[in-house]
Parts: sequence; structure tokens; C-alpha cells
Amino acid sequence: MICYRCNHEAGNEKTCPICGADLGIFHKIIRLSNMCYNEGLQKAEVRNLSGAIISLKKSLKFNKYNIDARNLLGLIYYEMGETVDALSEWVISKSYQQDNNVAGRYLDELRQNRAQLDSINQTIKKYNQALLYCHQDSRDLAIIQLKKVLSLNPKLVRGHQLLALLYLQEDKLEMAKKTLRNAGKIDANNTTTLRYLKEVNAKIREKGSQKKKKEDDLLTYQSGNEMIIMPNRFQDSSLGSTLIYLVIGLLVGASVIGFLIVPGVKTNAKKEMNDKLVAANETITNNAQQITMLENQVKDLEEELGTLQGQSEALPEQTASYEALLSGYVAYVGNDIITAGMNLEDVDATQLSDSAKSLYETIWAEISEGYYEQLYSSGYSSYGAGNYTDAIDKLLRVVEYDPDYKDGNATYYLAQSYNRNADMDSARQYYQYIVDNYPGTEKAMTARNYLNEE
Amino acid sequence: MINFEEELKNFKPSLEVEEAEAAIYNHDLTDVTDIITELIRDMKPGNPF
Repeated sequence: MICYRCNHEAGNEKTCPICGADLGIFHKIIRLSNMCYNEGLQKAEVRNLSGAIISLKKSLKFNKYNIDARNLLGLIYYEMGETVDALSEWVISKSYQQDNNVAGRYLDELRQNRAQLDSINQTIKKYNQALLYCHQDSRDLAIIQLKKVLSLNPKLVRGHQLLALLYLQEDKLEMAKKTLRNAGKIDANNTTTLRYLKEVNAKIREKGSQKKKKEDDLLTYQSGNEMIIMPNRFQDSSLGSTLIYLVIGLLVGASVIGFLIVPGVKTNAKKEMNDKLVAANETITNNAQQITMLENQVKDLEEELGTLQGQSEALPEQTASYEALLSGYVAYVGNDIITAGMNLEDVDATQLSDSAKSLYETIWAEISEGYYEQLYSSGYSSYGAGNYTDAIDKLLRVVEYDPDYKDGNATYYLAQSYNRNADMDSARQYYQYIVDNYPGTEKAMTARNYLNEE
Repeated sequence: MINFEEELKNFKPSLEVEEAEAAIYNHDLTDVTDIITELIRDMKPGNPF
């Protein structure tokens, strides 16, 4: 410390080493200054900036050379948005102690950031303008201006306080409360802030009790930046009323479903069913038509099959006829009249084509007479030779052609051949024919005798 | 009850940056040590200090 008498550096000595002046009281003052500084520091640490300012000013009142106290005071001013006051303290601090002084760093930072300094200057000007508006009773303009200021310098506690005051005057209590809370975040125990807050809360309580008497019964509260106003009655939601509301809601819902939704659903379902029914009927009709068509096709096919089957059944006969014709023709060419005639007898002229039929008729016309003649002769010869089987075969053909052939002799010898072949049953009819057609003849008598022997 | 006008009086215009120099010069830097030194001088008139 500097001796008050000789202005020489005395250090921490209780008496000046130069002039011997008693420096005890000055040491006490310095100690008091330091005590106040500590107090201010503690308050600053808990954000009681207003209290810290008081303590630090006290500290500087005791000892203006307390650099730490002055630097801290400047810092607090800066934090509260009072930049010019902060600059003042730092400049003074720097003037007292050039070297090893943190104030120098603060000043350098501010000097280097010119834009920030200009911005700070602008906010100060706007704040002063807002204050002027307040004095001129232009509260709306003042509010607008202050909002701009606080957007640029949100830590300006005085700005928040003035804005809150304006809101209070405008009866915008919730907004006043919000801005005071913002001020409180910067400077916790600021007296002005606390006083205004107390006023705001009192007014809110007063309004709350008044609102309860009103029929509207509105509840107003701040949610972020929005003011929420709602009827208070909606707050009354006891369990019983909640249950009642639930039941009513269920009933209303059931009614809506029953009267509005279900008929619509039913109608849609009916329509869908009808559509399906129509579609099904169409399908049935189409199917029926198809069935009829298929049945007709089956019928046609069956007829065709029948025809083809008939044709196929007739095929062997047809083939046999052609074969017989061919064999007969071969025999005819070979002059074997009997074989040709026998084959031609097996031919079914209806099975033949026109040309084949013509051939058949030609050959038959040519050989038929000679054929039966030879056949009778051969048959008679076989009868005479005792070859009754061959005789029967040949004579039967002749008899079938003409029972009266050779005056019935073919029939008579046929009967005889049957008789001689122990087949009286077959012979009887031929005997009877002779008896009936050639009465009075010898062969008739013979036939009667054979018949009577039965 | 807060009186708006009365409260408004508590709000003083802020110093602008250009006014900082003047504010520093006008800053009262008298502290207790200065007062006591003055007192000691006043107490001893014959004192050469």
C-alpha cells in the first residue's frame, strides 16, 4: 500500500518504512474492503447481482484500489447489460494497474468486436427511446421498442423490468410475470424485480377470485408464448362425472351406429347379395344353355355313333358280301358254276355298291339256271352215293330256291336225305309238302308212309 | 400498489458508448482512505503533511 503521508510504497508494514506513519488503520480499511469484496463475490456466484453490486461498491468505497473488486463489478455490470458502466470500471481498473490486469483483456475483446459494440450502442439508444415513449404515455410503442431491445440484449435487466412495468400498467399480468421471471434468471434477488413480481401475483390472485364469481368462469394461463383461455368448468372432472360422460358417449355412439351405420351396412350387404344372386343366376343360365348345347352335341354324336356303329356293324356283312362276290366271280371265271353259285348266294346285294351289284346281277343271271341244275344233279348223286350230308346241303339250296324244282323231286330227295340221315324232324316238313302238293304220286305215297310211321 | 409514474422515475436513461469517457472522468473515486487522510490532515494543522 501507499503511505498516506509520504506516498511511498509501504507494502504490508504497519508503519511506513520511510516516514514512520502509522498505517494500521489503513490496513483495517483494506481488510474491510476485501471483506466486502468477498461478500460481493459470494453473491455474484449465486446470481444475486444486485446484492453483489452493493457489496462491491462498498468494497471500492473502502479501497478504490481494490482491482479485483472493480473488475468483478465491471463484469457484473456487463452481465446485467450495463455495458458502458462495465467499460468505465475496467478502464479505471486498468488505469490503476496497467500490468497483469484482467480488465485489459476484457477491454481488448470489446474493442476487437466492433460489431458487438455497435449493437450494444443500438440497444442503449432503443432503450432510451422506449423510456421516452413511456414518459410520453405511448406505452404500445414503448413495449414494441423494448421487445426489440431485449431481442438484441436479452440480459438487460432494466429492460425486462421496464417492460414488466408496462405490462402491469396494461393489465397483461401473465406477460409481466414472464418477463420478470426472465429478469430473475439474470439477477436473482433484484429488489425491483421482486417487488413487481409480488404486485403481479397479487393482481393475479385478485383477478382469480373475481373470475370465480363471474358466470363465464374462465381460466387464463400462459403456455410458452401463448395465452390460454378456457372455461373453468372443464376443470371439473370428477370420477363420477367422467363415468357418466363415458356412458353417455357410449350410448350416443351406439345410437349413431344403430341408426346410421348399420342400415347402411345392411343395405350394402343386401345389394352385394343381390348382385351375387344375379351373377349366380346368370351363371346358372349360361350353364344351362351350355348344358343344352352339350346335350344336343351328345345326341348328335350318339346318332352319329349309332350310324357309324350301324355302318361298322354292317361292315362285316358288307365285307362278306364283297368277298362272296369276289369268290363267286373267281369261281365263275374258273367255270366252277356250283362254287360260283354258292358264293353268289351268300352275297347281300344291298351291301354292294352299284357297280358291284351290277356285276353280281350279271353273273347271277348267267349262272343261276345252270347252277341249280348242277346243284340238283350233284345233290341227287350224293343222295344216291349215300352222302346224305352233302345231298342235304345241295338239295336244300335248290329247295330254297324252288321247292317245286324238278316237279318236287328236289324236295322229295331232300326229305329222303334227312330221313336217311336220321333226321326225321327235318324231313317231316318236306314229306308233308310232297303229300300236300303232289297227291296221288308215288313220292307222295312214300312220304305219307314215312309220316304215318311216326 | 405500484405507481407507474413513480416507478418510471427510477428508470434513468442509459449512457451511450460515446458518453463513457465523460462518465469515467466524472466518476467519484473518493474512498475511505482518502477521507481518513483528509481527516488526519485536518486534525493536525501544524502537521507538514
